[in-house]
Amino acid sequence: MTPLKIALTKGRTEEQVIPLLEASGINCEGVKNKKRRLIFDEDPRYEIILVKGPDVLTYLNNGSVQIGIVGSDILDEQQNSQYAMLDLSVGKCRFVLASTSSFNPQQPRRKIIATKYPNITKRYFQGIGEDVEIIKIEGSVELSPLIGLADAIVDIVETGNTLRENNLHVYAKLQPVNTKLVVNRLALRQFQPQIRELITNLQQADADYAKSNLIKG
Amino acid sequence: MTNKNLPNGTRDELGTQAETKEAIENRLFKGFRRRGFRKLTTPVLEYSDVFKPLNADNYRPYQLLDEQGEPLVLRPDLTLPVARVMSTTGVDLPVKWYYGGDVFRVKKRLSGSYNQLTQAGIEIVGYKGIKTDWECLVVALAGCQEMGIQDLTIELSHAKFVDVVIQTLDLPQPTKDSLKAALYAKDLNKYNSLCSPLANTAYSKFLAEWPWLFGDFDKAMRLVKTMPEIAELHQIIDDLTATKAFINQQFPDYKVALDLSIPSPQTYYTGMAFRGFTDKSADYLFSGGRYDDLLTNFQKVHVSAVGVAFDVDSLVERTVVQSEKPVTLIYFNQDQWQLAEAKLRELKNATLCLADNLAAAQRLATSTGSQLIDLTKSR
Repeated sequence: MTPLKIALTKGRTEEQVIPLLEASGINCEGVKNKKRRLIFDEDPRYEIILVKGPDVLTYLNNGSVQIGIVGSDILDEQQNSQYAMLDLSVGKCRFVLASTSSFNPQQPRRKIIATKYPNITKRYFQGIGEDVEIIKIEGSVELSPLIGLADAIVDIVETGNTLRENNLHVYAKLQPVNTKLVVNRLALRQFQPQIRELITNLQQADADYAKSNLIKG
Repeated sequence: MTNKNLPNGTRDELGTQAETKEAIENRLFKGFRRRGFRKLTTPVLEYSDVFKPLNADNYRPYQLLDEQGEPLVLRPDLTLPVARVMSTTGVDLPVKWYYGGDVFRVKKRLSGSYNQLTQAGIEIVGYKGIKTDWECLVVALAGCQEMGIQDLTIELSHAKFVDVVIQTLDLPQPTKDSLKAALYAKDLNKYNSLCSPLANTAYSKFLAEWPWLFGDFDKAMRLVKTMPEIAELHQIIDDLTATKAFINQQFPDYKVALDLSIPSPQTYYTGMAFRGFTDKSADYLFSGGRYDDLLTNFQKVHVSAVGVAFDVDSLVERTVVQSEKPVTLIYFNQDQWQLAEAKLRELKNATLCLADNLAAAQRLATSTGSQLIDLTKSR
């Protein structure tokens, strides 16, 4: 049987998702001891590749992989057209509008917003009927209101620690972010039984994880 | 010239690749003509209004302005131009058209996707009954047979199925809309939570499986029958079942699958829709269906129409490209043209060598691994 190819976002998503994949009965030994490898086929049913988040959809859209595991922030920003079939309980955070305490959201002028996510930012402000100037920043977005590049930022917040340490405040909560399992539309038809088995097992593993987290919490 | 690069999402096709595409198009066209279809060629440029009914997300067109400032597009689709022709020229119905050509859709930059795609297809306008759907299917499947495609799956669906079922559910309208959106996106978490109020009803078994209602035809139909009877579904189910039996009889080697969980391909689709794929294809090889509302964008009269289009690029991709055989070079003197022509006609894979002297001809033959026939020796 042809193995299912899964593109997994490397880094934090990878670390959070591996226990779920293992609980679903997938051998992830290779990914856990990866060294410099990028393709893992320890489990004969799957071929897992590690890629950067924004590349997951590129592989998926071209049909190079059948499954992607990636944050909803990236799916929303890239306007995903594949099937985002499953929400996983890991990697939960939220988009916020944040700035220094001197920021006045009601001030009647065209604000400058710095963000890594220009499309999400544009859609949010369009939704509230406001036109803003967006500056795309690749990292450390928190800096921009502090040094006067922008009036405020739209960014992802998990615990809020980075914002607090930089004296930034949340002015609005935007959409939540979580990790999703995405399936190529045609591959779902070509690999239906295999994908359904993976999804059913992951649903169970995720429910168990959510329950144990609830008990711990 | 400073910019010698190709625009994003375009490509050149050289030698074998271009020839394979041409051969595939010609075989398809020959098949269309053999069944009495007439050719319809429409321009690459159209007014953007023609394509208003298309779902803008997947069909983002290249836009430009005509000399009076009217917005033009490079056509992103070949079906709507047919509708434009039908509504503006008074062609007598019924009519069977075939067409071929390139469509242009702007995809994400630098993503490896191509923006210029080649299609070949047919449109039958003015026949009402299911025989029209079947004629389109026969054209599609005979085309695949002609290409030597063996592992084909034909997926049947229906533009109205989801709406009919959703309307019968005892849910408030906003929940129905959200449920439909979650079903189409296969967002299982959202779908399951929206369905939860109907957990202990006669629909529960069906609803639990609905996002997975594709693939095996009989299994999907058995699940549909677990629902309370819905009168409006009778015709849909009868048409799908009869079509499956028809394909099984006419093309017993091809698999027929069903998908009752997907949206209508475009808003103007009104009946059965169908797509074909193989286990290895990265894209659908053909897609089509019934769109009796196709012409309503252009005129008030309701006209039946069914069509199907092949994705020629996908067909080229799955065709095994033969390694190029070296050609035989025919070297000759200027005054031996007739003799050279005679030799060219006699040999299968030969070309005239236009080198100025024998040494140059020999060098060319050596570098390309070709056989050299020297006609100058025979004088």
